Amino acid sequence: MADRRRINGPAGATLPPVYLNEDAQPSDDSKISRTRAANAIRKLYLKTGVTPSASGSAYLEIEAPGGGAVSGLKLSCTVHGPRSLPRSTPFSPHIILSTHVKYAPFATKQRHGYLRDPMERDLGTHLEAALRGAIIADRWPKSGVDVIISIIEGDQDRQTSKSQELGSWETMNALAGCITVASAALADAGIDCVDTIAGGVAALVKDAGDNNSPRIVIDPIPLEHEKILSACCVAYLPTRDEVTNLWFKGDLPASDMELYTQLVETGIQAAKSANLVLVECLHETMG
Amino acid sequence: MATAPPALSFSRPAFAKLSPHPFLLASLSQSDSTTPASRTNGRAPNQDRPFQIHTSSLAHAHGSALVRLGDTTVVCGVRGEILPVTSIPQYRPATLYDVEQLDAGGSVGLGRGELKDYDLLVPNIELATGCAPQFLPGVPPTTLAQKLSTRVYSLLHSCNVVDPKDLRIWYHPPQLATDEDDKMDEDDGQEDQAAKPELKAYWVLYIDLLFVSFDGNPFDAAWTAVIAALKDTKLPVVRWDPDRELAVCDSRTNVSALNIRGLPVSCTAAVFLEKEHAEGGEAHKNKYWMLLDPDRLEEELCQEVVTVVVDRSEGETRIRSIEKQGGIVIGRELIRGFVGIAEKRWEAVRCAMAKDIL
Repeated sequence: MADRRRINGPAGATLPPVYLNEDAQPSDDSKISRTRAANAIRKLYLKTGVTPSASGSAYLEIEAPGGGAVSGLKLSCTVHGPRSLPRSTPFSPHIILSTHVKYAPFATKQRHGYLRDPMERDLGTHLEAALRGAIIADRWPKSGVDVIISIIEGDQDRQTSKSQELGSWETMNALAGCITVASAALADAGIDCVDTIAGGVAALVKDAGDNNSPRIVIDPIPLEHEKILSACCVAYLPTRDEVTNLWFKGDLPASDMELYTQLVETGIQAAKSANLVLVECLHETMG
Repeated sequence: MATAPPALSFSRPAFAKLSPHPFLLASLSQSDSTTPASRTNGRAPNQDRPFQIHTSSLAHAHGSALVRLGDTTVVCGVRGEILPVTSIPQYRPATLYDVEQLDAGGSVGLGRGELKDYDLLVPNIELATGCAPQFLPGVPPTTLAQKLSTRVYSLLHSCNVVDPKDLRIWYHPPQLATDEDDKMDEDDGQEDQAAKPELKAYWVLYIDLLFVSFDGNPFDAAWTAVIAALKDTKLPVVRWDPDRELAVCDSRTNVSALNIRGLPVSCTAAVFLEKEHAEGGEAHKNKYWMLLDPDRLEEELCQEVVTVVVDRSEGETRIRSIEKQGGIVIGRELIRGFVGIAEKRWEAVRCAMAKDIL
């Protein structure tokens, strides 16, 4: 049943516009090649304090490569708390962390509804696992904190072709951004953490051309590569040298443990690069 | 032992939180007459916050705007989707002739009817983004969010902002005039010429607003964002493919801007009363201040709110809507005076929009 508390629009189904030439041939000009080095992340812009009424907030923007064919990631994060829990909640010796990740309706090629879909819940769960390892939770018994992330613009190419298989890889980049921005917002809210946590993505990719063997790159953009074989998103605490959340997806031979370790190592590299930006930003704002 | 108890003094934020009404009252009613009355945010009662507008910052929307009003920040994305007439229940077929007659005849009756009957404008406001402590996600839309969505929806229709002409998708059957049709025999040709353009589909505009930060006066911010985003909206040029029964676009670069009629600007003020709970007859003697562009603290303390929507794009001021809720202070005189303030606001918004385009 349609949600009566929102304006739902026409009863009949509406279709997003169909573009002729793009469906016909996956045009060459839409394919952009990776210009960054294999171990370089895209430029990050991070700012804290965008929402003054929240306890802490941050905004993250990742530069869009390749002349508008791909949109950059834009995230806004607010942190509310620590605050007392309602009386009905049972006693908790540590802070109760709840995370929400929501795509804005205009964030991706397909219009997102207002109800949270499974992918958003998934992101929220991963984010919670990543942050729980960083927060010193027993400093606030009987209290709660909410971390809310709105994805204003997803990291997605504008082409319609190949969209189904690509979609799943982009959530990894989104998760890495979510972890980094949440960490900045937690610091802005003054919630004690053992360290600044940051997210990074590494992927095993196959480039266009037959003779290229798969290689490992960090911060992959699906459009830049022929095929992504597997990817992993790492949430990493640099001073403790600790991984709090690891999300691995894809297809990798089980016999080759070396490759697996290498992929995680590269993911940690990506997280370290993001952490540099994060620390720099926090130094600027906190003085 | 003889230490005097410390004087009871609070920091400003603590005072504001503990007893907001006396806090704002103390700020407004300065004891000496030399200093002008100012609000807790440092503004004069009739001083507003300037608008900052940025458009076209989102890649996936057809039009977008980011509007800042002090600490209130709202992002608006407009996205067009196609609604084939076959999926409209109770669709009344219209021919080009009918539509032209009605459009030309100055009667906007049908035009407005189309937008409203087929629900072609879909504005929604999302507040549950943690933009303020009272708006957390995981709950259904609050009353305020529903109210704002509905107000934007009805104002979009009553101001007649969007031209329904831009939203119609026609199918023009092939005409005989082209060269390759030469070989066709006469009868066929005449039939083709007689074929009239058919209305096959409509664009539906999904107007989604997301509050990034909330510090009062959500309606003015939201409405300005809607207008700025609609003015920024460029829909791809679309044609009807009869074989596929589908509207198709040729390219992403071939776009046309929407025709947005006028520039309605909304202006909101809240009325702050000296006595919080004045009874019946006393209420008239109650001292009051009209606070233009209220922030979050002021909005919580004020019962009476007035919003005026004006449009001066045709030279003279036209009032598009007046809304007033609660309270008994604002009467005819005050609203007349308030329209003057709204006119100034209109100029400010026009400048902010022009600055963005340059």
